[in-house]
Amino acid sequence: MSNPLKALLRGDADRLSELLGKPTASMLAGYAGVVLIGSGVYGFTLGLWRAPLQALYTAIKFPLVIFLTCLGNGAINGMLAQILGSGLSFRQTAVAILMSFAIAAIILAGFAPLTLFVWFNAPPLESNGAILGHSVMLLTHVFVIALAGVIANSRLLGLLRKISGSEKVARAVLFSWLAGNLFLGAQIAWNLRPFIGSPKLAIEFLRSDPLRGNFYEAVWRALRHLIF
Amino acid sequence: MPERASPPNVLEALLKYPGRIIHELQNNWRAALPLWLLSFALFGMLAYGVVVGSFSGGTQLWIAPAKIAMGTMLSILICLPSLYIFTCLSGIDTQFRTVTGVLFAAISLGALLLIGFAPIAWIFSQSTDSVAFMAALHIGLWAIGIMFGLRLLEGMGHLLGGSARNHLKFWSVIFIVVCLQMMTTLRPIVGTSDRFLPSEKKFFLSHWAETLRDESAKK
Repeated sequence: MSNPLKALLRGDADRLSELLGKPTASMLAGYAGVVLIGSGVYGFTLGLWRAPLQALYTAIKFPLVIFLTCLGNGAINGMLAQILGSGLSFRQTAVAILMSFAIAAIILAGFAPLTLFVWFNAPPLESNGAILGHSVMLLTHVFVIALAGVIANSRLLGLLRKISGSEKVARAVLFSWLAGNLFLGAQIAWNLRPFIGSPKLAIEFLRSDPLRGNFYEAVWRALRHLIF
Repeated sequence: MPERASPPNVLEALLKYPGRIIHELQNNWRAALPLWLLSFALFGMLAYGVVVGSFSGGTQLWIAPAKIAMGTMLSILICLPSLYIFTCLSGIDTQFRTVTGVLFAAISLGALLLIGFAPIAWIFSQSTDSVAFMAALHIGLWAIGIMFGLRLLEGMGHLLGGSARNHLKFWSVIFIVVCLQMMTTLRPIVGTSDRFLPSEKKFFLSHWAETLRDESAKK
């Protein structure tokens, strides 16, 4: 593994802040490449339980969610970084966020053999245990993605602490980026559904009505069904 | 360690001074050392496998060792990429080959301990007809062996300057779960079957619950 990637995983704040000091287009492209490959490989394992075609679709859509989230929030993340006093430019903000997504993508790629193993052992779609298979796949992926996200963000916090020189500023910047990325990312993922693929629905790249409704309405509806 | 990594030297270091093995793998890497470690791991698993197979006898005498050795190797293959990533996340500056060597050392230490446990397992395998009891005993003994083995990973973190140890502990849990599931995937290992591999896919916990249910039904 090349040194910048090793520095990323180790959370080597000195080396990372040095890299971030002179952000170049090739650096941005390099991290984007890591995100593309890492999350693409993981995305393939995400859709494999439903069908190979779903795996291919998810391998394309999973990196797309990350890139669209970065793109959609690029401006506001850069502004927040400056308003909150981190001292990061727009380009540096984009690189820092891509760095954390690259860490998550490497972790996800590392877990791909494990999730393939879970897929191999899960009751297949045609079997009586299809619901169990779907639930296990869903829970495994939620756990792995959450783990990758937590680790990636803890690395980003270390970097922000180093650059801003203040724990308070670092936390405020990270929290604002996280809030924005989660808010938009959840909606983009909703629009680009399905990822695992429901056992009862057809395999599609996008649902027939991808822009109808939103993630938050769906959560609200689900809560209403549950409570009332 | 001496210049030539001979089997007695490696064995002695593994049991008495595991830190030396980690040091050699990190600072004086030679292919002979990890190869010996892998050979010990395979030998230990095969030897213990014969004892596992002795419960059912017949073809299980070669099927059980083959499945245990194969399952261990497959688990290593599945988990090695994530181990390297978690090693880096722990702040350890090392190479993939060093991590591979330390994992081989951990597995071979566990396998050596299993050879030590083999007489105990054999006595029980000749004294009971309960598949569930034997499976629980083998899992218990394997767990003791692998826990000692996986302590080497913590040792690696300590010796190579890791700043966060929880990552490797967490990875160890993942490795144990993968090994348990692998043995379910390659079942039966303790009992017998007409087929080499099962046709039905099952998770470890549901297979275990089913085995216990069958055992109570027999009684």
